[in-house]
Formats: sequence, C-alpha cells, structure tokens
Amino acid sequence: MPVYSVSRRRAIALLALTSILLITLDIQGNSVVRGLRGVFSTIFEPVQSSARVITRPLENSWRGITNYGELEAENQRLQDQLDQQEGAFIAALATARDAQELLALNGIDNLADISSVTAQVIGGTPSNYSQTIEINQGSDRGLRVGMPVVNAAGLVGRITWVDNDRSLVLLANDSLYAIPVQVVNQPNIVPATTTTTTTTTSTTTTSTTTTSTTTTLPVVPPVSAVVDPNGITTTTQSMTTTTVDLSTVDFGALAPTTTGVIVTIAPGTTAGGPTTTLNLDDLPIAETGIFRGRGIDNAPVVEFIDQNSRFGEVQVGALVFTSGGSQSLAPRGIVVGRVIKIVERTGTSGAVLEVRLTAKLTSLNFVRVLLYQPVATGAP
Amino acid sequence: MIDFVNKPVARLILVGLPALALQTTFFAEVKIFGVVLQIMLALSIAAGLAGGSENGALAGFVFGLMFDLVLTSPLGLSALVYGAAGWGAGYLHSRALENPKWLNALVVGLMSGLATFVLPIVANWIGVEGWLSSRLTKVTIVVSLSNALFSFLVVPVARWSLAIRRNQRLAPPAEVFL
Repeated sequence: MPVYSVSRRRAIALLALTSILLITLDIQGNSVVRGLRGVFSTIFEPVQSSARVITRPLENSWRGITNYGELEAENQRLQDQLDQQEGAFIAALATARDAQELLALNGIDNLADISSVTAQVIGGTPSNYSQTIEINQGSDRGLRVGMPVVNAAGLVGRITWVDNDRSLVLLANDSLYAIPVQVVNQPNIVPATTTTTTTTTSTTTTSTTTTSTTTTLPVVPPVSAVVDPNGITTTTQSMTTTTVDLSTVDFGALAPTTTGVIVTIAPGTTAGGPTTTLNLDDLPIAETGIFRGRGIDNAPVVEFIDQNSRFGEVQVGALVFTSGGSQSLAPRGIVVGRVIKIVERTGTSGAVLEVRLTAKLTSLNFVRVLLYQPVATGAP
Repeated sequence: MIDFVNKPVARLILVGLPALALQTTFFAEVKIFGVVLQIMLALSIAAGLAGGSENGALAGFVFGLMFDLVLTSPLGLSALVYGAAGWGAGYLHSRALENPKWLNALVVGLMSGLATFVLPIVANWIGVEGWLSSRLTKVTIVVSLSNALFSFLVVPVARWSLAIRRNQRLAPPAEVFL
C-alpha cells in the first residue's frame, strides 16, 4: 500500500484547498476572480481565434457529413411553418399596434423603443453542463454584462461576460439564469369586429378626410369609457358621465367587481384616427413569478407565482413574458415561452410552471442584444 | 527562456492553451450524440499516467483552472475535480507493474467516466443546480469512450509536458512506498 510523504500530501492538499477557496470566492462574486477571468481572456483570445480559423473547415465538414439529411428535412419543415405564419403575422401586426398605443398612453416602455445590436453566434458551449454561446459583438458596440439577448422567437439569454469584440451569452436554460416574468393565460377571444368609417368634410376652399377604425369585442357592455390623448377617460353609463384618469386605474382591483366595462381608445388628435374599443374583462391579467433555467435536459420553470383571484387558475399554454421593472435585467414584454406543465406543491410555496422556450436554443445563428439596462443600475 | 519552457508548469500552460482553444472551438461544435468531448479532462488524467499522482494532481488543477476561466460555472470546480482525477489516475497506475497502451486507455476511460459523473454532484453540493439529470449517463459513457481513444494521443503529449521520458517509470518513486 503506497503511503505518501508529508510534503507530497501537503502539496496535493494545497491544490484541493486552493480550488475550494476559488470556488468560495467566485460564488461570493469576488472582483479578483472576475479580474482573473478578464486577464486570462485577453491572453487566450488570440489562441482561440487562431484555433477557430484552423478548425472551421473541419467543423463544416463534420456538419456536412452528419447533419445533411437532417438539415434538408428541417428546411422543408421551416418552409411550411413560414407559410403558415405569414398569415398570422399580418393579423398580429394590427394587435401589436394597438398594444403599443396602450403602452404609450400609459407611459410604459416597449421593446420597439430599445436599441439593439445584431450579433452572430461564433461558438457553442465547451462544457456538457453550463449553457453558453459566444457572439461576435462586444463592448465596442455598447454591450454590457446583463443585457438581454433575444432572437425572432423570443428570449435567448443574457450577456454574462464582455470583451471588446465578443461576448459570452448565458442561455435561458442554464441553471444560473433567472429573471422575473409575467404569466398570462391565453384570453378566450371571440374574433373582434372592426369597422372603418370615412367622413369627408368639404368647404369651398379645402377638403378634409377623416378615417376612424373601431374594434369592438362581442360582449355588449353596460358602461363605456373614452380615453383622450391626454390619458383622460370619459366613462358613460345611462345618463351619467364620469371622467377618470386611466393611468390611475387598477385594472386588477377593478375587475372583480365590475363586469362588462368597455374602454374606447380615442385617436391621438382631434382630427380623428383609429379608435379601439376593448372589454376590460377580456384583457388577461398577468401573474408574476421568477423564471429559472434548469439545465439542458430539464424544462425551465416559473416559481413563486403570486396568486391573484382575478387571474384564476394558470392554464397549460399560458404565455410567459418578461415583466420588466427597475431591478430586472430585461425590459417588459420579451416573449419567453409557454407553460407546458403545472406542478402543484403543497403548503404556501405555490405551483411550479414548466415552460417550453419559444426560442430554439440548440440552433442559434444570429441573435439580437437589446442595449437595455435597468433603471436601478443608473445606465441609460 | 529554455529553462522556463522546461519547467512543468510552463509546459502545462503551453500545452493547455491550444488544447483549451480546441475544446472551445472544435469540440464545442463537433458533438457525439449531443455530448461535448472533454480533451482537457483527458489531458489531466493522462498527466497522472505519465507523471504519477502528484504530477497528475498538479496538471489536473492547471488544466481544470484554465477550463474554469472560460466557463460560467464557479471558478475552481473543474480544477478540483480534474485535479482529483489526475491524482486518481496516477494512483491507479502506480499499482500496475507495466503500463501498456491498452491499460492507459482503460484507466483514462475509467477515470474520465468517474470525473464526469462526480463533477455535477460536486456542483450540486456547492449550490449549482440543474447539472444532475438523466442525460448524465449518456454524457459519462460518451466521454469515457472518447477519452479512452484520446489516450493514445494525450498520454505522449502529457509525458512531454511533464518532461518525462518514454521509458521512465510512471509510478511514484520507490521512496514513497514503505
């Protein structure tokens, strides 16, 4: 039986203790460890770039050999999906415009206002456990640690490390990834009716044409309210008229006691424009929770759901969006995915929602980094 | 300069940098059954075979630390596990009277599987969740088999990086035995 000398044992124990010390420091977010990563990256970057150039043809050959059939089938499938989604996209545009108007009226930021940088994925994860990708844009283009990364389908992850011309993205399914989200049950929307009226007023010298569009949901409401461009809502019921500031209305509190409220969004100018009428009961109320990745094999989850009587039971298929907020690293409204399973837990811990991400993280090519940092960081 | 290059740690870094570059580029893209092959782990274990348990622990620590520096997982996690794997490979190999290539492949495969299995357990222990899953079995098998094949390449490389001659006894020196 071999027995090692004290000095040998001491050397091995020292290595083990050093490892444990480094783990402890890193978990605590020590700045020296971060600096060490930065220094090593500077040294390693030229070697890695050279290796990338040398190995690229080999990688391409490997992909050509192993993935050709799969790529052909996927191409056909994607073409079919594209055709299907073209029609849905046109319908969604109208809804998106309405949503942006609502957000603007309430002074809420929306994604269209946030600048972004498009980046190409240049590397995958070198580990079987952590889920990261490397992209070809860095601090030179304004990228900072923590910025959200998306693609056309939805949330991809967040920037976790930045160099001048490249960055590392922690994918949303990594176990270290977490972000506040909203879960929204899909509304049972009966197709809305839209009418367009055109009024032409002529005088002897000028001619003015005013077009207004009215979208009315099928439920006939007893009360209606009109919102003017200043956010003032005029509510009418029978013979009475009330003026309400829409920004102060708590829809969640209002809803359980009020049924069939209709809100008409008036055009932005007195000259006319689109007018949208919505039934507040049909607007889905969002539950908030924390989205957390659980590794490549396990579906991400949403935990710590706030129970809201207005919202009712979370349904499979409910949509998950980022909730934004002054502390959140992502703005409000990025699509995350859909609820695929609800795991009930006993006690006060609440249900855990398993989520299928809309972005396909295994085949990313181009992504978009939103140049967004929360208000709490003091960044723009 | 020559003296510096001849030092084991300098050689380990000289070998480790291109190996890490290969790991983060080629092996990050070329996956077998969806599993990333682990050349840094293979090198750590090979160092144990080439230079004994102490050198194996040192090489594993250096290679693991380099790997940690490019990952998002806690720094020192791979260093700890790879160091232990290098030490274990050196210890196992010291029990053998000879070191034929097939035995090297067997030890590299065995230790690779063990390290691949232990890594997520240690990660879970320090609070990193999500690494323990049913996929672990597949990862362990693929990494074991691939590293066993890599052993024919990485053991000579590890031998050079530790400045060990081919026919030098790889087990710990005689004075460590009672």
